[in-house]
Amino acid sequence: MLETPTEEVARLRGCLNDLVGIMALPALWAGGEPQQITSTLLDALLGMLQLAFVFVRLNDPDGGPSIEVMRRNELLESADPARGFGIALNASLGKAPLKWPTSARVSIGNAGFSVACGRLGAHGEIGIVVAGCERLDFPQKTERLLIDVAANQAAMGLQQARLLSEQKRVARELDQRVAQRTTELAKANGELRKEIIERRLTEEKLRHEEAELERSEAFLAEAQQLARIGSFSWRVVNDEITWSEQLYRIFEFEPGLRITLERIATRIHPDDLHMLGEMVDRARRGAGDLQYEHRLLMPDGSVKYLHLLAHRTRDNDAGSVYTGAVQDVTQRRHAEEALVQARSELAQVARVTSLGVLTASIAHEVSQPLAGIVTNASTCARMLAAEPPNIEGARETARRTIRDGNRASEVITRLRDLFKGKDLIVESVDLSEITREVIALTLGELQRNRVILRPELDDKLPAVLADRVQLQQVILNLLRNASDAMANIEGRPRELLIKTEPDGDEHVRLTVKDVGVGFAPQEIDKLFEAFHTTKKEGMGIGLSVSRSIIERHHGRLSATLNDGPGATFSFSIPCGPARDAVDPGAILTAAAMDAHHVVRNL
Amino acid sequence: MMSQRSLVSVVDDDESVRESLPDLLKEFGFDARTFSSGQEFLNSDCVGKTQCLILDVAMPGMSGPDLQRELKIRRQEIPIVFITAHRDENIRPRLLEQGAVECLFKPFSDTALLEALNAALQVNWTTGVSRRRWGNTIE
Repeated sequence: MLETPTEEVARLRGCLNDLVGIMALPALWAGGEPQQITSTLLDALLGMLQLAFVFVRLNDPDGGPSIEVMRRNELLESADPARGFGIALNASLGKAPLKWPTSARVSIGNAGFSVACGRLGAHGEIGIVVAGCERLDFPQKTERLLIDVAANQAAMGLQQARLLSEQKRVARELDQRVAQRTTELAKANGELRKEIIERRLTEEKLRHEEAELERSEAFLAEAQQLARIGSFSWRVVNDEITWSEQLYRIFEFEPGLRITLERIATRIHPDDLHMLGEMVDRARRGAGDLQYEHRLLMPDGSVKYLHLLAHRTRDNDAGSVYTGAVQDVTQRRHAEEALVQARSELAQVARVTSLGVLTASIAHEVSQPLAGIVTNASTCARMLAAEPPNIEGARETARRTIRDGNRASEVITRLRDLFKGKDLIVESVDLSEITREVIALTLGELQRNRVILRPELDDKLPAVLADRVQLQQVILNLLRNASDAMANIEGRPRELLIKTEPDGDEHVRLTVKDVGVGFAPQEIDKLFEAFHTTKKEGMGIGLSVSRSIIERHHGRLSATLNDGPGATFSFSIPCGPARDAVDPGAILTAAAMDAHHVVRNL
Repeated sequence: MMSQRSLVSVVDDDESVRESLPDLLKEFGFDARTFSSGQEFLNSDCVGKTQCLILDVAMPGMSGPDLQRELKIRRQEIPIVFITAHRDENIRPRLLEQGAVECLFKPFSDTALLEALNAALQVNWTTGVSRRRWGNTIE
């Protein structure tokens, strides 16, 4: 069918109008969503080209299922949904839209349609638009042009929309990530801040505790210094020794010097070194507690007195550990010594004013008649030896000898009465037990004199009938004598042995052995004489009274010199009942009787 | 006529000594006088005649050393043998230092006394006073 020029101009003009309308479409959908673009495109094409339907399939850029949208002429009777159209198109044109021809004849339902396909995007990557018309000559050249231009415009719009949506998505995602990261950071920041606060608190607490510890350490050090107490620990198995600062000060060692037993030994007083050896022995045997009083001899020659106390604590794998304290008791010791000195001076004064006066007067009173006796007897002998013998003079001097002898005897009787006091109070006595009581009384004094007492007391000693108090006076006297005899001994331990044992079947014996100055062998006969003494402060009464007490118990008190240094005093008394005392005045009475005899014979 | 025997004076508060010593001294060949106190001796006429004084240390009132000092003041330097019943070893050197010839502890033997008296009478007197007195008693 041919067109007239007027018809052709009108058609071309209409086409031109449509093209302008299509070119204006992007302004409608600018910034819009793909759905809006698609809808606008479909509505425009349907209206311009009087189509039966127009169909768009949009590929999902992420490979998901494609979106299909369609518009159809309202006059079209069969109203299949887009999905149905898509399936029908697939069935007619094949499954791959890229391979669909630009135009074709399809049948959908019972109707046949001419379709024109326009690819969206240069290679149809966005999708495809299919316009359908019942006309067989569809599409004309102008219709084709309009479809292509519209498809092109839509493709560009969709591309932009996609880009935009992608940008939005990315921006959204970015925002989301930033927000998430921000949240995370905020959270981390919060935790960090909490951690910082906690750490600061911990540090503060630590600092506080350190300060506290420092303070208590300083306090301890100060306390140790004040009390002159040092502390130590000693792991016996390897002799690992740890000292407190104060102990270094007491021993006057450089602080931090490694402490060994050998190093300690260099400071111990030579006379007390045996204690260190003994302590180590005891510790190696696992003794529970250690307690020693010993001296230090400092390089400047001064002497310190120390008191050591240690307690054993069992260590699981490393054997015994002793922890303990060492106190410098030098000052206390000096105070004690001063006290003892004062006390003994006081005692000395008391003795001088009582016993001293007594002794002096007794000695004086005994010596005076003795001087008379000796002089008279000498004179008497000379008178009798003269040629001729002076009988009358001799008789007179002998008479005076008798009188002086009796006078001396009276003095001795007074002396005996004085020391005799009351009669013996006899009871059943365990010699070991009463010895223990005396030891308990004198232990402090012996320790002060640095006497090492070694008691060997028989626990199964038979009882004796004796005066408990008087026997204890004898034991006390022997212990004091032994201690005094060792008072100036240096260079060897002041050992004192006190021993009780059975002596035959019917006697018990007590022995006191010292390592003191002893006595001269020729002195042995004089030891027990009244007023004989080897001690500067002594009065020479103790041993004579002791002997008289033992003799009143029908026992014997004797002295021997040791093979080594010192002397041994010992008495033995019968277990049977004590009888009356021997009269110490009897000897002098006998002397007087001898003189009588001389007088009678003259 | 005076005895040519040397006079030994004994000053002691103890009666036993005063009774026994003169007989022994006479046995030794001396003349003897006894006094119960230092004052009694000083008041007697024997001070200038005594060649040796046997003097007790401890006496009530004037002690032996007190008398020794008094005699020194009076320039009557008589050799002195102290006797004492106090057996104090410290006292002897002190007394000897102060010019005593000897110090004997009671009871003393007759020989110890004789030795002390001999020592006293052999003292080499350096002062004129002593020589004169020595000479007087010898006459």
